[in-house]
Amino acid sequence: MPIVKINGVEIEVPAGTNMIDAAAKAGFDIPHYCYHPHLSIAGNCRMCTCEIEAGGRGLEIACNMQARDGLAIRTDSPQVKAVRRNVMEFLLKNHPLDCPICDQSGECRLQDYYMEHGQYESRLADPKVGKHKRMDIGDHLVLDAERCIACSRCVRFGDEVTGTGELRLFNRTDHTEIGIFPGERISHAYQGNLADICPVGAITSKDFRFEKRVWYLDETDSVCTGCATGCNIRVCHQQGQVFRYMPRRNDAVNKSWMCDHGRLGWQDIASLRRVLRARIDGKQAELSEGIRAAAAALRGVDASSVAFVLGTRATNEANWALWKVARANLPQAGVYWCQGNDPGAWSQVDDLLMDADKNPNRAGARALADHDAAIGDGTDLAHAVREGKVRMLVVLHDDVLGRLEDAAEGVAVLHLGSQRNTTADKARIVLPATHPTEQDGTFTNRAGRVQRIRRALPAAGDALPDWQLVELLGAALGKGPGARDAATAFKLLAGEVKAFAGMTYKDLGGGGLPLRQPEPLPSPPPAQPAAP
Amino acid sequence: MAAFPQPPAQGHGPVDWSDQDRAEIAELMTHYPTQRAALLPILWLAQRKWGWLSFDVMRRVAQTVDLPPSEVYSVATFYTMLKKQPTGKYLIQVCHTLSCKLAGADRIVEHIKDRLGIEEGQTTPDGMFTLMRVECLASCGSAPMMQIDDDFFEQLTPESIDRILDGLAKGEPLPLPRPEVDKWTFQSLES
Amino acid sequence: MDVPKPRILTARWGIPGSHTLAVAQEHGAYTALRKALTMAPADITAVVKASGLRGRGGAGFPTGTKWTFVPPEEKRGGKPVYLVCNADESEPGTFKDRYCIWNDPHMLIEGCVIAARAIGAKVAYIYLRGEFKYVKDRLDQALAEARAAGLVGKNILGSGVDVDVWTHQGAGAYICGEETALLSSLEGERGQPKLKPPFPAVEGAWRSPTIVNNVETLQAVTWIVEHGADAYKAIGTEKAPGTKLFCCSGNIRKPGVYELPLGYPMMELLNDECGGLLPGRSLKAVIPGGSSVPIMTPAEVARATMDYESINEVSGSYLGSGGFIVMDDRTDLVDALANLLRFYAHESCGQCTPCREGCGWMYSILTRLRDGEATEADIRVLRDLANNIHSRTICFFGASAAMPVQSFLKKFPEEFFARAGVGVPDDWRPAASAK
Repeated sequence: MPIVKINGVEIEVPAGTNMIDAAAKAGFDIPHYCYHPHLSIAGNCRMCTCEIEAGGRGLEIACNMQARDGLAIRTDSPQVKAVRRNVMEFLLKNHPLDCPICDQSGECRLQDYYMEHGQYESRLADPKVGKHKRMDIGDHLVLDAERCIACSRCVRFGDEVTGTGELRLFNRTDHTEIGIFPGERISHAYQGNLADICPVGAITSKDFRFEKRVWYLDETDSVCTGCATGCNIRVCHQQGQVFRYMPRRNDAVNKSWMCDHGRLGWQDIASLRRVLRARIDGKQAELSEGIRAAAAALRGVDASSVAFVLGTRATNEANWALWKVARANLPQAGVYWCQGNDPGAWSQVDDLLMDADKNPNRAGARALADHDAAIGDGTDLAHAVREGKVRMLVVLHDDVLGRLEDAAEGVAVLHLGSQRNTTADKARIVLPATHPTEQDGTFTNRAGRVQRIRRALPAAGDALPDWQLVELLGAALGKGPGARDAATAFKLLAGEVKAFAGMTYKDLGGGGLPLRQPEPLPSPPPAQPAAP
Repeated sequence: MAAFPQPPAQGHGPVDWSDQDRAEIAELMTHYPTQRAALLPILWLAQRKWGWLSFDVMRRVAQTVDLPPSEVYSVATFYTMLKKQPTGKYLIQVCHTLSCKLAGADRIVEHIKDRLGIEEGQTTPDGMFTLMRVECLASCGSAPMMQIDDDFFEQLTPESIDRILDGLAKGEPLPLPRPEVDKWTFQSLES
Repeated sequence: MDVPKPRILTARWGIPGSHTLAVAQEHGAYTALRKALTMAPADITAVVKASGLRGRGGAGFPTGTKWTFVPPEEKRGGKPVYLVCNADESEPGTFKDRYCIWNDPHMLIEGCVIAARAIGAKVAYIYLRGEFKYVKDRLDQALAEARAAGLVGKNILGSGVDVDVWTHQGAGAYICGEETALLSSLEGERGQPKLKPPFPAVEGAWRSPTIVNNVETLQAVTWIVEHGADAYKAIGTEKAPGTKLFCCSGNIRKPGVYELPLGYPMMELLNDECGGLLPGRSLKAVIPGGSSVPIMTPAEVARATMDYESINEVSGSYLGSGGFIVMDDRTDLVDALANLLRFYAHESCGQCTPCREGCGWMYSILTRLRDGEATEADIRVLRDLANNIHSRTICFFGASAAMPVQSFLKKFPEEFFARAGVGVPDDWRPAASAK
């Protein structure tokens, strides 16, 4: 691996690493617009120009400079600073000064870099070039070509990621602008990424536009629960309300992207399908009452006729807790895992990010089943129900009845979940669980990667984190697993289940870790074509 | 500097190639390792056939080379000779870059404007002539000069322009006689 | 000047029917090709290298050396090699290539086949600017004749060598004269220059090794292969052997294309070949190598000879493409520079920030200055913009737009400041020469 020197700091990086990434590794931020780690190199913005100290000469753009032994650059010399200032001046030559009404304000690289690297007296006495404004280019996108700095990120995204190629540069000179062919629209399911990668306010999101100034938003790292891919996200929220999800870079999962379905996943937090209160026999009840009633119901039947069903939408912590509660309190009861139907879920599938499995934690539930051979699968459960061996089902989130259909007629259901579904609606007792944005925990994605979700919002209604509901149910039955918080639950899980061996929340960090004995599910994400 | 012309909304309606066009396109594609490389020649063919590149024409070309139409539009708007809007029967393009300017290109443009009664960028009411200024056409030694469609007319004087435009107006076909075409040194019109 | 003025490139110009195969062959065409077919490719390259031929497109890079940058076959991974002839001739003041093709298309075809053989290409493209349709038609006819005579195509003259030659018509974009932009355009893309590295000789057209040579260069190759490196080196200067086509335009009596040995005195080119200035006029300035190179003062013109080294030593300018634009005392240099910047503002491909935004900005300032609506501060901004564009872009276009501004302002500041109603500031010249 070549060793390069950046501002005097030596660092070893893999061969082929470009100098923007190498500098970042050494702790130096090289400003850039057109460069994107998951797109090909365009080299047009010129903002990343650096001075070569050794192994070359003059000023070169860092994005197109590959690490090689002996290469030394400076990112902070007077010449480099002057180039940045000059580039900023050129970029703003024809850029409208409409920051007060521009939705990019606050997360605009023109603004950020101007404050850091620009800061000059305006010398502009000449008119600006007019271009197309407020163009409706897709269900989720608005284009203002005057704000565009022609970095071509969006064009490359359409070419290299979605392969749809709708956005193009038109004209040339300072009349260059991006646009789509008249009469066409961007219709793919990854539109939000175009707004994300646009470094300025040219492409903005219709869903977020004018909803909130970004500087008011708090951000919490989490994971999308829209499907088994588990795209890493940032939940952007203020005062208990989510305004958007943004993809968070994880090269092992979603690079820098997420689909539009997942991106709008926050809309179900406050949806009418939310379960906010405990219900007993159709009547609203205090949560404590609900838990007591659930425990009483479980005590009231033959333990061997009880089936605990681990959830593919439940956290690893909750599934582990349910398994522990079952084994500790009703050792004769059956424990199963199965994928529930979710009729509300979107059905789109592709080989980029959207998985056919719309549940975020099937791999996690399966990992527990692999650990305890006595845990049955969906077929086993259906068989047991059909044979009449199951009189009571304890369900975490999933729509198990939807899957079992008529076979489960007359079976009593205790449902612990955050969303209404057929199972929750038919349940004798419903206990409200939090939305994934309202709790800590982990999910295991389709490739067997364990990733953290983090609490961004206060729980709605009486809801409690799924693992905590199970904990309380266990306590009411006599013995809970003994976790005070999600981190402890995970630690206990990791101490017991080999696939999670030794993991802690701290180890998982922002990007997660693969299961120790990876059990990849079919149809892993295919490798994206290498950028040309 | 004038803005690049944006194609008008009206176009040709659905268009299609003739069998002869298809044969020509197929032959063109054999010149290159990719079919996309034939895009410029095919755009030229389309422009000869349909006069200008409307969105309908660009859509047809896009299908022919299997590209998104936006890509064809992107390429078409990069090159100034590809017409994104219709012009008159004859497109007069007067070079006005430095050598031609030194040789009096501005006077040539004024003469043509007066004679045709149109401004730059306009077409005569009878649809015969469109007048444009263009950048250097690599005829600096025989300046001032203009291009009408595919032909160069060099060492222009008001008289020679009148002769050329009279000829075209009378229906004489291009190429008109061009005595300068076989020369490579010239006597300055001023000397 | 009493030096021989051999007609190497223009030998067949003016012979009636010189563009037809029969006439061209009668006057020696394809003799070099027959010789080249008996030579090993490396030997052809060696001859061209030994001749000292430098690329005639503007950069003046040694042609034979450029050819050696093509990776050897075992390192090409099965990729083909392409030869591309740059006939996009668009640099204001340059008008030689179309005469080369018009008067002697077979010399170019011959040069293409020889060069293709030298670098191992089986396909050569001749990229003509879009406006050269009538030139392309004549070249296509010549190609058809050559193909029919077995001089182009498969198994050329029974040698087993295959070289196909195709013409490709641009569509109106100066930037396509830049070799990587030309390749983008050849591939059917917008004519935007590509990042280097990789260089075209390693990864060019369709990501295959590609050599791009100017028309005049390839025609010179033909002569060199036929007559040998020594004969070529006997002409011109030591560092710049051979003849060059000088394209003379502007305020002179006899504008046109003149073939002269490199090193020819600039003043003699102006006064003898070009017939001097028009009656009663005096010389104000010369742009010696196409609009992009720095302007020269009369004093510099008097000292320079027409070759790469002398022009640069005397004036900091370049021989470039040989576009020799003469301006007499009537010329308004502010207007002239505004004219040139309109050209660059119209032709920037729009890719790199400084050039995209800066060319139009410089033109805008110059129009205000021309119209008496600019201030001294605007002139300073203009110079800053030029400095900030130069060498800050993917291709050389940025520098090409900046150099006229930098040099006009440096060498003729009086005219510019006078237009702003002030004298040349005391601090102007040192700062200008510092750049």
